[in-house]
Amino acid sequence: MSTTTYQVRPSGSRFEGLILIAITIVMLAGLSLYVEERGRNEEPEVLYGWQVSAFSSLTGADQAIYNSLYTVKDEIPYIYDDINYFNEPGEKFHWPDLADFQDYLLPPFFQDTSWEQNGSLQWTLYEPLPEGEMQGSTMYLGTDGQLPAQGSFLLVIHHVHAGFTNTNSIMVWWNENNHAEMPESGFRDSLIVRGWREVVAYSGDQEVERIYGD
Amino acid sequence: MGFSLPGIRRMLGIASCALLITLGSDATAATLRVGITLHPYYSFVAHIVGDRAEIIPMIDADSNPHGYTPQAGDMMRMTSMDVLVVNGIGHDSWAFEILDAAGMRDKIPLIYANDGVSLIPVAGDNIGEKIVNPHTFISTTAAIQQIYSIARSLGELDPDNAEFFRNNARQYALEIRKLRAEFDEKVSGTDLSKFVSATMHSGYDYLLQELGLQVSAVIEPRHGVEPTARQMADTIDRINLANVNVLFAEKYFASKLSDTIRDATGVEMYSISHISSGPYTPEKFADEMRENLNTLAQAINDVAQDSV
Repeated sequence: MSTTTYQVRPSGSRFEGLILIAITIVMLAGLSLYVEERGRNEEPEVLYGWQVSAFSSLTGADQAIYNSLYTVKDEIPYIYDDINYFNEPGEKFHWPDLADFQDYLLPPFFQDTSWEQNGSLQWTLYEPLPEGEMQGSTMYLGTDGQLPAQGSFLLVIHHVHAGFTNTNSIMVWWNENNHAEMPESGFRDSLIVRGWREVVAYSGDQEVERIYGD
Repeated sequence: MGFSLPGIRRMLGIASCALLITLGSDATAATLRVGITLHPYYSFVAHIVGDRAEIIPMIDADSNPHGYTPQAGDMMRMTSMDVLVVNGIGHDSWAFEILDAAGMRDKIPLIYANDGVSLIPVAGDNIGEKIVNPHTFISTTAAIQQIYSIARSLGELDPDNAEFFRNNARQYALEIRKLRAEFDEKVSGTDLSKFVSATMHSGYDYLLQELGLQVSAVIEPRHGVEPTARQMADTIDRINLANVNVLFAEKYFASKLSDTIRDATGVEMYSISHISSGPYTPEKFADEMRENLNTLAQAINDVAQDSV
């Protein structure tokens, strides 16, 4: 008895493989596009040699002091407005001094237990000169911290009226020398020569960019 | 340590003048509907906007924002918001899932509260790499930074009320600074040299760091992730080696781990609030932060007492 074998092929069999390949290619392309557009960007922070990362390099007390100074950047202009609000006509406006910071309970200047725990930095104010080449900067210098490996801090306010910048800008610098002296100038190059490094925050907007690419 | 407040009085005086001026103007034209994702942001926004905006929590008050699973009702709430305030750096990633699911990602303006915050890494990380800590709202300094940032952004959306928002933000910042001054009165003059702490998770890093209280060990390798037996053994060794005498655990999210650590090491355990549970109220942040600072002061004084 003979047996006859029939091979039954689906009518669309010629195209099944092609369709499968096409779908796979489309899915891979879509996935690549998604990763390209929405994937996490793991590139490390890019810093210049004269900068230091608050997130990666500073630790403990110095990181806490920097983060307080970072918020102070927002508050100093407000305090400036407050203390000059009742000035008489013609009276010269002035930037807040260290006593003002005590009144406003403002860390890292306010001398409480947290200030002691974070090294008891001694702060000095450099008042800007009223005129001449050096009129452009108000500086607050913090030195002589009591903790091991602690550095000095410098908060520099560059004044727009002195032609230094287009807007009042506030920068924070760090020096590994715990006993750094008040610099003669708040200009960047001058500070770098004297061992100061600009502290750069890793801020929320950078993290949002890393996570969501927004 | 006492403190005098002439600057504060001066600021409040100016703010009152500004408030009267603003109250005299037509400031009731359109009410902004501000969505929020986390409890602290409810308090922040409530203090900033006063009665000049409506606040809409994105999820129910009794939901746990850790690993939250989006619900259908969340999308309905979202459609009624004009703007949404988010943490954005890892503590409310579910909000972005809801936004995407509702197709609202590009339709609702987002205020990233942490845009202007200088972030710190998770303390005591077991792996050694620096991971961003998203708990910026459990702090005073980083909280104030966020309050200013939110007030500025809301002012851009509602320019008529921008000055009102800014003045409110300043007064609220001052209220938070006073919490720290109250804390200082409780611990001033106390010997902190023997105080060595560990925490169950990284949620309190910003607060402890700004107070100058360093963390020697963190139990959970990642927020919400329990350690393996090996990691647990290593952590117990670290706690014993560092002479840790205080363990801070979560007030609202109970964990048997903290009991295990306490039994194995003999550390004293104290509860800190994550400020992420219970009813949404304007006073929640300040109330629970005051409670946290009182707990910290208690722990500091207990250690000092035991060391005598």
